[in-house]
Amino acid sequence: METVIDIRGLTKTYGTVKALDGLTLSIPRGGVYGILGPNGAGKSTLFRTLLGLIRPTEGVATVMGGRIGDPASMRRMGSMIETPRFPPFMTARQVLEWLARAHGGVSSAEIDNWLQRVGLTEAANRRVKGFSVGMLQRLGVAAALMTKPDLVILDEPTSGMDPPGIQEMRALIRSLADHDGVTVILASHQLQEVQRVCDRVAIFNKGKVITEGRVSDLTASGERLRLSVTPLAKAMSVLGDRATLEGDALVAALPRGEAAAAIKALVEGGVDIEEARWIGADLEDVFMSETGWTGVQEQNRAG
Amino acid sequence: MLADAIRSETYRLSKNRTALFWSVLFIPIMGVILATLGFVVAKANEAKLAGKLPPDMMKGGPLDLGMALVKSAGDFANPAILMFVLIGAATIYAGDYRWETWRLISARNTRPNLLTGKVAVVGLVIVLATIAALISDVIASVIQAAVFGRPLTFSMTGAAATDFGLLTLTSWARILQFTMLGLLAAVVTRSLLAALFAPLVIGVAQFFLPQLLLPMGVRPDGWLLPLLSPGMATDLLKAAIEGGASAAQLPDHAVLKGVLSLAFWIGVPFAAAVAWFNRQDLSKE
Repeated sequence: METVIDIRGLTKTYGTVKALDGLTLSIPRGGVYGILGPNGAGKSTLFRTLLGLIRPTEGVATVMGGRIGDPASMRRMGSMIETPRFPPFMTARQVLEWLARAHGGVSSAEIDNWLQRVGLTEAANRRVKGFSVGMLQRLGVAAALMTKPDLVILDEPTSGMDPPGIQEMRALIRSLADHDGVTVILASHQLQEVQRVCDRVAIFNKGKVITEGRVSDLTASGERLRLSVTPLAKAMSVLGDRATLEGDALVAALPRGEAAAAIKALVEGGVDIEEARWIGADLEDVFMSETGWTGVQEQNRAG
Repeated sequence: MLADAIRSETYRLSKNRTALFWSVLFIPIMGVILATLGFVVAKANEAKLAGKLPPDMMKGGPLDLGMALVKSAGDFANPAILMFVLIGAATIYAGDYRWETWRLISARNTRPNLLTGKVAVVGLVIVLATIAALISDVIASVIQAAVFGRPLTFSMTGAAATDFGLLTLTSWARILQFTMLGLLAAVVTRSLLAALFAPLVIGVAQFFLPQLLLPMGVRPDGWLLPLLSPGMATDLLKAAIEGGASAAQLPDHAVLKGVLSLAFWIGVPFAAAVAWFNRQDLSKE
């Protein structure tokens, strides 16, 4: 598998706090790769490290085959980290003209094209000082993409955007991966968005990768059996702690191999089964099971 | 890569009209306005002021623009121009910290290139400020000639042209040297205010240094004073270039002392800023 980013034992400490804790991760070329994690999980620290903005305490990483900071490799990468900021006296077009010069030159036609693709054509000659967060995000995305990078890192690209804007951005990100051959690395707290857009994800917690894989595999591993049954109380006593009540149905966390035996036990126990079907876990379930419970417990303890 | 850094920094500065006005245009404009007022007031009170003003201001023969330019070239690095050029320089040096824009440009270039690009653009600002000051001096001389009814001439011998070039270069280097302390302060503190005030405070301290060191037995014609005080080093160079009586009284190796002092005060803050910037975490610009 060809990788665009290869990270081995990356650690970054701030005083006694480990923002990255021996992180090891390989990100394959192609597609959209999601980085998920609660606040403080180390996502932004990882991005800033990959961009050479901060130096790791330990470990190594390569980007596009070169070490971090290698100009030839870094020039193949575009990025937007957190809400981008720009010199307030410049217009949106001037910002892109400025960055085009900083990045070795981009034609005016290409700048116009990107202003149009991110929906900023009408605001192109307005000073960024008056831009909303969503508009700054759009401009940041245009700045990241106008140099036609092979790899682009987008940190919360839809933050502050309205629903149509989110939809447009989602389509743009998918199109970059599907039609332009760009590898997109995306961090977002909007898990539905990640599930719709990403091919693979890594879930971070406390500076480490705790789960990584294809979105379809991760959600499949959380499959559960949904049962519409009467009487509910009898069914619950048969299944015990393997089942929980969700609305007027039971949801049982069972491996597929045990489903038939469970259904047989219910029937033999005098339970009428109106419907039994498999429901997939969504990414939110996976995320919460991997990180959320621990996070809530610790917050409660700290509180 | 360095060319990219210079081109982008130049472009950004060209859109920052506030910084350009204060660092390049304000002093020349004020210079013309104040000079014109002075000439008009002097003319209106010619009888009362006779003997109190420089004799070559109101009377005398033709007013030589060429010689006026040579004289101006030596005076470019005056405190007013130093302070106002510093506004533009500090904006350039600290801008990416202030606007949190390092993250946009630092990944695709080397850090030494980025700082060198900034210094190069500050050098360009000084050239622009010098040209604006020259134009201002020419305009003031023309107004002076018109107010006092003196004919204008222009003469520039080869020697005068050389003096003009060397004095301009010396003034340029002195202004650049003054801003380099701003570069170091900007990188270390990430603050625009520090980039503005550190050179001013250190500059004032250097101005009073001779008064502190001479009573301690430091020789006025030795190496220590000019090396510690780039302002004094600039005066040595100017006197050596202009020649005449003041040049005859210069200490030994005056030119070498002057050049070394300016090179030291340009090179050391720059090297320190690059070294610091190379190690700096830009986790929060």
